[in-house]
Amino acid sequence: MEHRWGMAIDLDRCTGCEACVVACHAENNLPVSNPEQAAEGRTAHWIRVDRYYQGEFPDVKVKYMPVLCQQCDNAPCEPVCPVYATYHNPEGLNVQVYNRCVGTFYCANNCPYTVRYFNWFAPEWPEPLELQHNPDVAVRMGGVMEKCTFCIQRIKRAKEDAAQEKRPLADGEVQPACVQSCPAEAMVFGDLDDPQSKVSRLAANGRATRLLEELGTKPKVFYLERAK
Amino acid sequence: MASTPELLPYQRIREDLFRPLSGISRAYALTTAVAFVVGAAGLIAWGYQLRRGMGVTGLGRPVFWGFYIVDFVFWIGISHAGTLISAILRLTNAAWRKPVTRAAEAITVFALMIGGMFPIIHLGRAWLFYWLLPYPNSRLLWPNFRSPLLWDLTAIVTYMTGSVIYLYLPLIPDMAQLAEHNTPWRRKFYRALSLGWTGSDRQWHALERAMKLMACLILAVAVSVHTVVAWDFAMALAPMWHSTIFGPYFVAGAIFSGIAALILVMAALRKVLRLESYLTRRHFDNLARLLLLMSLLWLYFTVSENLTVWYGNDPKEMAVFGARTRAHYAPYFWTMVVLNFVIPFVVLGIRRLRTIANTAIAAGCVVVGMWLERFVIVVPTLANPRLASASGSYAPTWVEGAITAATFAAMVMLYMIFSKLFPIIAVWEFKPHEQEDE
Amino acid sequence: MTVYVIGEFRDTASAAQAIRLIRDHAVSGADLDVFSEEPVEFRRGVLDRPSRMSLASVLGGISFGLLSSAFIYFAQHNYRLVTGGMPVFSFWATGVITFEMTMLGAIVATFAWFLWESGLIRKRDRRAPVPEVEPGSLCLRMRCAEDEAAWASDAMRRAGAIGVQRRGES
Repeated sequence: MEHRWGMAIDLDRCTGCEACVVACHAENNLPVSNPEQAAEGRTAHWIRVDRYYQGEFPDVKVKYMPVLCQQCDNAPCEPVCPVYATYHNPEGLNVQVYNRCVGTFYCANNCPYTVRYFNWFAPEWPEPLELQHNPDVAVRMGGVMEKCTFCIQRIKRAKEDAAQEKRPLADGEVQPACVQSCPAEAMVFGDLDDPQSKVSRLAANGRATRLLEELGTKPKVFYLERAK
Repeated sequence: MASTPELLPYQRIREDLFRPLSGISRAYALTTAVAFVVGAAGLIAWGYQLRRGMGVTGLGRPVFWGFYIVDFVFWIGISHAGTLISAILRLTNAAWRKPVTRAAEAITVFALMIGGMFPIIHLGRAWLFYWLLPYPNSRLLWPNFRSPLLWDLTAIVTYMTGSVIYLYLPLIPDMAQLAEHNTPWRRKFYRALSLGWTGSDRQWHALERAMKLMACLILAVAVSVHTVVAWDFAMALAPMWHSTIFGPYFVAGAIFSGIAALILVMAALRKVLRLESYLTRRHFDNLARLLLLMSLLWLYFTVSENLTVWYGNDPKEMAVFGARTRAHYAPYFWTMVVLNFVIPFVVLGIRRLRTIANTAIAAGCVVVGMWLERFVIVVPTLANPRLASASGSYAPTWVEGAITAATFAAMVMLYMIFSKLFPIIAVWEFKPHEQEDE
Repeated sequence: MTVYVIGEFRDTASAAQAIRLIRDHAVSGADLDVFSEEPVEFRRGVLDRPSRMSLASVLGGISFGLLSSAFIYFAQHNYRLVTGGMPVFSFWATGVITFEMTMLGAIVATFAWFLWESGLIRKRDRRAPVPEVEPGSLCLRMRCAEDEAAWASDAMRRAGAIGVQRRGES
C-alpha cells in the first residue's frame, strides 16, 4: 500500500523547548556547532524553531514555529538539481541522495523555506560523541547538501516490520525523532492518504494552514493555530 | 602618416602588424611574470578549497552563491565583446570594425574559457563535475535536463565552439601569410594551422560565405547564452530574482560590459604595440558612442526593474530592495550606479571630454561597475530569503579573492600569448581589392 | 599533357577581362583559379562559384536539434524521476537545449562544409602549381592542354597581364 507522509504541528501547544531539535541531531548524525559557526550560517539543524515576537515588554507575545523540510509536492528544489540528487519518491517524500550531490547549491537557493543545509567541511564530532551515531543513518561527507528526511529510516524500519508480520502499518506507528520527543505532543505524523489517520483529521481542521502556501509548493506540514 | 589606415602601403601594413610577433620586451616579460604569480596564487587557493571543503569560502546559509557565481556571470558577460563587434557590425557592413574584430573575438574566446571554469570551481564536490554531462554510465542515470544548469552547459558549449571557429576562420589566411616568412619551427606551426591555404578565389568565397553564416549564428547563440545564464536566477522563486526582465537585462548588461572590456584592451594594444595608425581616434569615438548608448540602455533596464519592485511593495521583495538601496548593500549599489551611468554619461556624452584616455577610464569604470551589478543581484536576494528568520550575510574570504584576481591574471596572460602568436589585426581584411566599376 | 598558364594582373578589371576572353572559348570555371592575398569580388557572371553552404547549415541545424530533443525525450522517459510536479518531458523545459543544439549543429555543419567547399581538406589539384602573389596583385591560373597554352597566354596578355608564365604539374 502506498502512503503519503505528512505532519501536523500544533503551534498553540508548542512551548519552544527545542527537544525536537536535539532529538533530530541525535537520530540523524548531525554535527554539533558553536556560536561562531551559527553566526556564519554554518550550522545544520534539520528542524529549527523560529521565534516571532509581537509587542513590547512586558506585553510580549511569542510564537514558536518548528520549521523543517515541508516535503512539498511541487517542490521548487527538485527540478533545478542538474544531477537528480533530489527528487520525489512515490511516497511523497522529497528525498536527498547524498551520493549523487555534486554541490551546485541551486536547490538550497530555490527553497523558499531555507530548510536545506550544506556540509561545508567533513563533519566532525568531539569525542566521545561519535560513539552515539545512529547506524541506520548515513554520515555525510563534505560537499553535499542535506535536509530533513521525515526520518525515512524509521519509516523503512516500520514498513519492514509490518511486512514481516504481514499486517498493515497502524496509524502512529511511524514516529520521526522530533514527533516522538515532543513533550507537549504538539507534533503528529502519519499517512495523509488515510482519511482516518490523526494527521489527516488535523489537516482538515479549521485551524490548519500551511507555510507560504501561496507559492503553490503544496507543502505537507500543516500548522495549527487559533486564528487571532 | 596617413589619415586612414587603408591608404597605407601593403608592405608597411604587413610590417606593422607582424612586428609584435617577434621579440619580447621588458614590459612584456614583467607583465607576464606578475600575471603568472597572481594566477598561481589563485590555483593554490583553489587547491586549498578542494582539499579542505567549501567552508574556506565566505559562503554560508542562506547565501549559497557568492563571488564565484558573480565572477561566472561577469566573465560570460565580458565574452559578448566579440559578438557585438564582429557579428553585428559585420552584418551591417560597418567598415570601421575591421581593425577591431580579431581583438574582440579573442576576448570572447578567452572570457568564455575563464567564465566556463566557474561552474566547476563553485561546486561542493568539484571533482564530480562531469556528472552533469550526459554519458552512458553504470548507474543508468542521465542528468536532469529540466535544470537551468544543464541549459547553461549546452549554451556555453555551443557558444564556445562557435566562438573558437569564428576566431579561427579569419585567422587562416593570416596563418598562410605567416608560414611564408618565419623561423622554421614557427613555420611548421603556422602552416599546420593554415590547412594549406593558397588564397584561391574558391577558398575566399567559401571563407566569406562561412563568415557571414557564422556571424548570424553566433549572434543568435550569444543572445541565448546570456539569457540562459540570467535564467539561472529568474527561474528560481527567490524574491527579486523571479523577474521576467532578467533575460534582456543580462544580455544588455553583457554587451555593455563587453564593449567596455574591448575599449580597455584596444587602448592597451594601441599603446603597447604602437598601433596608432590602425586604432585611430575615430574607432575609439565610435566605440565610446556605443558604450554611451549601452549605458543608457542599462539605466533603462535597471530603473524598470527597481521601480516596479518598489511600486509593487511586496514585503519579501521590499526586504531585498531595501537591503540593496538603503541598508547593507547600498554602498555597492550606488557605487555601481555612479560607475555604470554617471561617469560614462558625463565623460562620453560631452564631446570635448571624449578623448581616448577618458574613454578608457570610463570603460574601466564600467567593468568594475558591472562586476558590482552582478554582486548586487546575486547576494542581497540570498541574504533576505522569504522566511526572515533565515536571513544572513556574506563576507568573502581570501580564497574567493585570490581566485577572482587570478581570473583577471589569466585573461592578461592568455591575451599576451595570443598577441605573440597571431597578428592582432586581420591583415587581409584591411585592404580588400577594389570592386570592379559597376 | 596538362599545363598551367599563370598570368599576373595589377587590378581586378584586367583580370576580369582576361577571364571573359578565356571563357569565350568555352573554358569551364573549374579550370580557372584566381589567387590573391585579399578577397576578390568579380561582377556577377564572370567567375561564379555556386555554393550550398546555407543549405548545409540549415539541414545540419535542424537534424541536430531534432536528434538532441529525441535523445532528451528518451533519457527522461528512460529514468522517470518526478521533480517538483513537472511533466517528465515538456517541450518548454527542453526548448532551450533544442535551440542551442540546433545552433551547434548549424555551426559545425557550416565549418565542415567550409572545409569541404574550399578544398582545404580535399586537397584538390594537389599537384597544381601555386603562384607567388605580390600583395595587391592577382594571379589567374588556367589549367589547359599543351596546345591551348599559346592562345591562353595571348588572351591574358591582351587583357593586360603584366607577366605570363607556363608551368607544368609539380
